[in-house]
Amino acid sequence: MLEKILLLFCLSSALAENLCRPDASNGYKVRLSIKRALGDEAYVWNQDEMFLFRATLAFAMRNHLSGQDFQVSNILVCDETPRVSFWFIVTSPLDATRPVGKEDVEEAIRKSRSRINSAFLLTDQTLEFIGIIPTLAAPVSPDTPPWLIVFGVVMGSVGAGIIVLLVYPVVHKRLKKDEEEEELEEEEGEEETRRVKTMENGAAGDGAHNLSFTDDERFTQM
Amino acid sequence: MLFLEGVPLFYLELAIGQKMSLGSIGAWTAISPYLGGVGLASVVTSLYLCLYYNIINAWSFWYLFHSFQSVLPWAECPINSNRTGPTEECEKATPTQYFFYRETLNIAPSIEENGGIHGGQALCLLLAWVITYLFIVRGVKSTGKVVYFTATFPYAVLLIYLVRGITLHGAINGVKFMFTPNMEHLADPNTWINAATQIFFSLGLGFGSLIAFASYNHYNNNFERQAIVVSLINSGTSIFASIVTFSIYGFKATVNYESCLERTRVLLLNTFNIAEDNINIDNVFEWIEKLNTTYPEQFAKLNNKLEECDLETELSSAVEGAGLAFIVYSEAIKNMPLPQLWSVLYFLMLLMLGMGSMLGNVTAIITPLRDFKVMSHMSSELFNGLVCVFCLLLGLGFTTTSGNYWFTIFNDYGATFSLLFIVLIEVITVSYIYGLKRFEKDIEDMLGHRPNWYWKIMWSITSPLLLIFLFIIYIVKYINGGTPTYQAWNKELGTSVVTEYPVFGQLFIGLLLVSSISCVPLTALYVFCKKRKLGNHEKREHTVSTVSA
Repeated sequence: MLEKILLLFCLSSALAENLCRPDASNGYKVRLSIKRALGDEAYVWNQDEMFLFRATLAFAMRNHLSGQDFQVSNILVCDETPRVSFWFIVTSPLDATRPVGKEDVEEAIRKSRSRINSAFLLTDQTLEFIGIIPTLAAPVSPDTPPWLIVFGVVMGSVGAGIIVLLVYPVVHKRLKKDEEEEELEEEEGEEETRRVKTMENGAAGDGAHNLSFTDDERFTQM
Repeated sequence: MLFLEGVPLFYLELAIGQKMSLGSIGAWTAISPYLGGVGLASVVTSLYLCLYYNIINAWSFWYLFHSFQSVLPWAECPINSNRTGPTEECEKATPTQYFFYRETLNIAPSIEENGGIHGGQALCLLLAWVITYLFIVRGVKSTGKVVYFTATFPYAVLLIYLVRGITLHGAINGVKFMFTPNMEHLADPNTWINAATQIFFSLGLGFGSLIAFASYNHYNNNFERQAIVVSLINSGTSIFASIVTFSIYGFKATVNYESCLERTRVLLLNTFNIAEDNINIDNVFEWIEKLNTTYPEQFAKLNNKLEECDLETELSSAVEGAGLAFIVYSEAIKNMPLPQLWSVLYFLMLLMLGMGSMLGNVTAIITPLRDFKVMSHMSSELFNGLVCVFCLLLGLGFTTTSGNYWFTIFNDYGATFSLLFIVLIEVITVSYIYGLKRFEKDIEDMLGHRPNWYWKIMWSITSPLLLIFLFIIYIVKYINGGTPTYQAWNKELGTSVVTEYPVFGQLFIGLLLVSSISCVPLTALYVFCKKRKLGNHEKREHTVSTVSA
């Protein structure tokens, strides 16, 4: 009797070992980069952490295939390396010798990926399931691209500046003209000299016409 | 280069502008009626420059506006439609290159394929021209006030960047690289041609902008001192800026080198299943050798994935021109802490510098044109506005998908050759045709003393010889170079490919070169024919033309 139980035990564990091996058709390789993710606060990978991993994976399988009671013993792990990488395979709770299909395992992991990551304080890049590509977060696209807003602000202020610069001298001149019209009636005689003066001032102050020197030249030459 | 060519020619142009008080066309016609073409060539070159230079400002605006985001858009690749990874093109190239070539330019695979106008680029170009108009609308008075800000602000930013740059990790590698002379490069004549043209560009010689600005000076303004001071400050700033540039460059190279090492380390860890803290960045190379000897077959499988990590290669991977400013620098900035601040500062500085240059270029066109009787009847605001609108409409061509290749044509061929030619003619004209003695007397008239022997030797002998020498080398290089080529961005490979210009491209290059240079002989011919027609009125026309022009 005892021998039969012993034989059965040896057989099942041997089978289990046969099921889990590197490059198994239904298994996945896992790689953890704990030091890269956590630096000084990295925890040591030991059997307790491995137990947590197996329990988390059992949770993920339960989450996906509701109704089936996956236990920690259904998650078989082998080929552990100092890198902290290993292979695992999931067996069905109803029959410990039958592995669960690859697609089901992949779907289960995809669904609960964030839960598995947070159990180990890792991310998609530091807890890798070789062969399962993480779905990246959708990019946030606002309705108006932000650069257009800044552009609008700058363009608006520059446009306002130009309008002010163009309109201001016109308004200024009109005000001055009204003042001058009153003075003109009193000082008719000096009009010519003042006109000459304003022209000279205008030529020197405006800066755009630099023909004032050439006028002098003409006078001196002829 | 600065002392042999830069300062003497700067002095020369300022003297001419101040003496004649006319824009470049008028000034050269006054010196000798046959040489009005030199001024015209300057105007044509400035026109080309105006057309394509504002595109750089448009790019600066684009990058500046995109800096106001939590994650800089050129820091990460956008995700593809399946959400499985980054976009293919971005993965093969780097995110900064992808942002520049695809999102900023939307570049076509070659110059022959035309596409639509890039909306964002067009808007930014419009903004650049509107701001240029704002600065020049009231004429030189407003330009003068604006330059107070646009000239001093970049110094402040450079100082901030100097402090930031020197304290960056790995900056010292870049500065060391800058100061170690590379003998092969120094022996190459190309380096000297580039140095000469850089001095011309940097000081603004040959564009007519110096003559234009000097024409507004008082007759007795002491421009000799100004010429020396400005040139020295200009070159001092260049050295200062290059220290900043190279420290940031060293930072970028070091970061790239270290991330290359990191990738190699992870690859080794993953392939050989070694515990994580056994290999760190310092002993990656030792481990490579160790693993190569212990597991040769496994190592051989790795070979195509293993990258060569070399700091020297990173430092020597030079990108020049627009690429340096926008690709290399944005890559360096994205790695700095608080990248948005540095990005905004940097592109604001680029904008100040670019806008300042545009002011000089546009003034160089407007001043000579205003000297013509036809244009002086229009109000200055309207005329300036028309010039800006004209340049804007033509500049929209550079915002198309193949626009960047046309930009490269203008950048490489539009100005360099013509500048050499114009400056050569300028110095020979003043020294020999106008006469060095007459020029000396003019300067004595304006300043009160004659220029000393150094200037005279430079103007009459050294500068012309040096310029002729450079001119010949340039022509020889052009003839020997074969078909001119350009860098076309290949979408599939994610890198630039050297492509030859098609026939119409080469014709256009030829047209660019010929159009500005031919102004000189054509104008001389025109004046000669006109004089022969009006034979007896020659003497009176000589004096009249100085007044009417």
